[in-house]
Amino acid sequence: MKLQTRKLLDKSFTGLNLFSAFLLISALIIVLGPIFFKGIGAFVFKGTVEYRRMIFDQFGRGNKEKIFKEIAYSQKARKFIYDNISDFEKGIIVKSYIKETKKIYKEYKEYLSSLELPNPHKNELRRKSRSLYSLFIKALESTDKEKVENILNQILSDPYRKRFDSTPMTKMFHLVTRYSEIVNQVDLSNREVYLENLIDLKDQLRTLLGPFPKDPKPILPRNQYGQTRWDRSLVKLNDVLFIEKYDYSDSSEMGQIVQYPRSEIFKGTTVEHIFSYLEDNRESILLPKTVFYWRFFTDVPLDSNIFGGIKPAILGTFYLTFGALLFSIPLGIIAAIYLTEFAKENWLIQLIRTCIGTLAGVPSIVFGLFGLAFFINTIHVSSSKSVLAGSMTLAILVLPTVIRASEEAIRTVPHTYKEASLSLGASRWRAVLTVILPAALPGILTGIIISMGRAAGETAPIIFTAAVSVGQPLKLWETLSQATPALSWNIYNLCTEHEAVDEIRHVQYGMVLTLVLLVLLINIIAIILRARINKRLIGRT
Amino acid sequence: MKTITILAVFTVLCCLGIFLVNPALAGNPRSKIVVDGSTTVGPIAKSFAEYYMRMNPVVNITVSESGSGNGAKSLINGTCDVANMSRFMKEKEFKAAVDKGIFPVAHVVAVDGIAIIVHPSNRVKSLTIEQVRDIYLGKTKNWNKVGGTNKRIVIISRDTNSGTYETFEKLVMKKQKITQNAEYVGSNGAIRTRVQSTKAAIGYVGLGFIDKSVKAVKIDNIYPDNNSVSSGKYPIARPLFMFTNGYPKLGTHLHAFVTLYLSEKGQEIIESIGFIPITKY
Repeated sequence: MKLQTRKLLDKSFTGLNLFSAFLLISALIIVLGPIFFKGIGAFVFKGTVEYRRMIFDQFGRGNKEKIFKEIAYSQKARKFIYDNISDFEKGIIVKSYIKETKKIYKEYKEYLSSLELPNPHKNELRRKSRSLYSLFIKALESTDKEKVENILNQILSDPYRKRFDSTPMTKMFHLVTRYSEIVNQVDLSNREVYLENLIDLKDQLRTLLGPFPKDPKPILPRNQYGQTRWDRSLVKLNDVLFIEKYDYSDSSEMGQIVQYPRSEIFKGTTVEHIFSYLEDNRESILLPKTVFYWRFFTDVPLDSNIFGGIKPAILGTFYLTFGALLFSIPLGIIAAIYLTEFAKENWLIQLIRTCIGTLAGVPSIVFGLFGLAFFINTIHVSSSKSVLAGSMTLAILVLPTVIRASEEAIRTVPHTYKEASLSLGASRWRAVLTVILPAALPGILTGIIISMGRAAGETAPIIFTAAVSVGQPLKLWETLSQATPALSWNIYNLCTEHEAVDEIRHVQYGMVLTLVLLVLLINIIAIILRARINKRLIGRT
Repeated sequence: MKTITILAVFTVLCCLGIFLVNPALAGNPRSKIVVDGSTTVGPIAKSFAEYYMRMNPVVNITVSESGSGNGAKSLINGTCDVANMSRFMKEKEFKAAVDKGIFPVAHVVAVDGIAIIVHPSNRVKSLTIEQVRDIYLGKTKNWNKVGGTNKRIVIISRDTNSGTYETFEKLVMKKQKITQNAEYVGSNGAIRTRVQSTKAAIGYVGLGFIDKSVKAVKIDNIYPDNNSVSSGKYPIARPLFMFTNGYPKLGTHLHAFVTLYLSEKGQEIIESIGFIPITKY
């Protein structure tokens, strides 16, 4: 080969190396970047007043006086919205009017019977009051504006009105006056449409701000509070301000999304003003403040992970990982010692080696099903899914890695070590335990580190043997019989099966980040440990 | 050198210790209730579990969502206390259970409609049961055949382990086979996610999983909601079950848990997650 071609090849090879290094780094950035940035969002975010109210109610943390002050402040800011809606409601939901009118009429009848008046006189008043009452009810039930106005005017200009002065009937006349004012503002013929839109609007406002002041307390925490995070609040605010409609006019295409302002629907009513008010005063209504929610690690989840932290899942992952190592390390190292030091090279050992290699290639879901069928259904290590059964399954999964790594590590220990120790009169076992194993420890540790990361991240083996979507953090001895949430499984569960997937993106990313950090932490600790041991070994020789 | 190693080990132990020591180390293990099964009943079971555990912190209720079929299997194998199912037990399952000395008792916790969902940009608003069946049989391949745009229909179905699938197969497909081209996914949430992201998709989910990102279509001109399902007008509806081994002993946590749906609170929970309580409280 010419020198020139060789140089060229050399250079292109270096270039290729650089390029692949670049690809690797960019892949890492592309994968880990979003995880990191979005995951941070679970810990550092702008919390609204609803967040602080939730934390105070559910976890008992926070300065009571300060929080109450904040709540009062935001309630004051929200008052305009609530007042406007309840004003508008009176024209739309007439039930309360009918109820009140009935009450007044009943009161008046009682009042009448307590009066000392000649009977014909009484009867006349009774008849008159009844006709006024039924007229008003008719007006309330009607949606024809002209008719309603006529009736209301008729009632208000009734010649008998004077005679009802300072009786309970005056209250009814007040009511009639108020209603006639409302009728002027509201388009009665659209009452049905308004009603539907009003219910929708109120639902949207409830998701943004929490229950209305007069609502009964909802049973699920998710309905007890408005949006706790400012970023979600802005999304929900948009839902209040705009309705997503689809324009289907182009029949050759799928519908196009159109943002239709909700204020258009309520044009000319008192509700129209709340939209611009909400937009202008959103900060004083929700009082966003940056919080550092490090307790995401140590809080129990609330209402299927909608609020709270991920303590049970972190704890579960710890238990499962260390449980798996507890079973796989002794088993793996002993197997490796046997295979390298004691086994004779024959077809049986060859077969075992092949089997171990195959085991490493078996899909992890198969291990999961095996764990269910063997550990739980056949030998009953626990009566149902448990951390114990999950750890054992994971142990089998990582066993090939541990065995292979340990085998390689033991093989790399120079023969001279062993020979020297044997020549000094050590037994075979002693030589293995005191000379070979310590020398092979760094390599063995590498295998353990890799398998640790794998055990922490595996989902499939624990679906059937250990993982559940809801459960409390376990105490150590409960791991023998009880199942636990675990990070890997719960990430999957929250991303696909959860009923409110879009609402809890931050929790999902937070969990992913936690898992990545956890594996990283375990690895770093193990790597440092290995480096120390390595140094010690080198120091000795 | 050695001190550093010890320090490293100590740090690891501390990390663990924070979690382990935090709950007081004294006391008996809590009693447990193991709930497994349907992903449709999952939200009900999860909310019930959290509500119940809050009232009774001495119980640990674990809920897994692995599908109705797996729920039944778990109950038969004796590995769960409560099997959530969105369909009734099959004859085979009953037989297997009784052979193992397990006598399944059904508790109907709620009623649910199966909504046929499409992407909100799809102009189709209403379908008949026959149309839905033809779509899933693969006979109708394009949305323009049923009043939509010229787009190939992407068919999403639940896996065969699912109770929702079985109900759909019985009530809509009339036991005919769903086309080969259908895409099978493992949970209600996954169907919704799939339909959200695919404009030409059609899928089916329980009522509790409808939100504004997908559009439920009218079936035979009836929109699936609380009223139409509970009155029986909406054609694709089914009860949701929790199965236990025998009727649980009165006074136990298990009994209180599976009868939670009878209480006012339980029904309120069911309604606020979007399902229909069996009685009007």
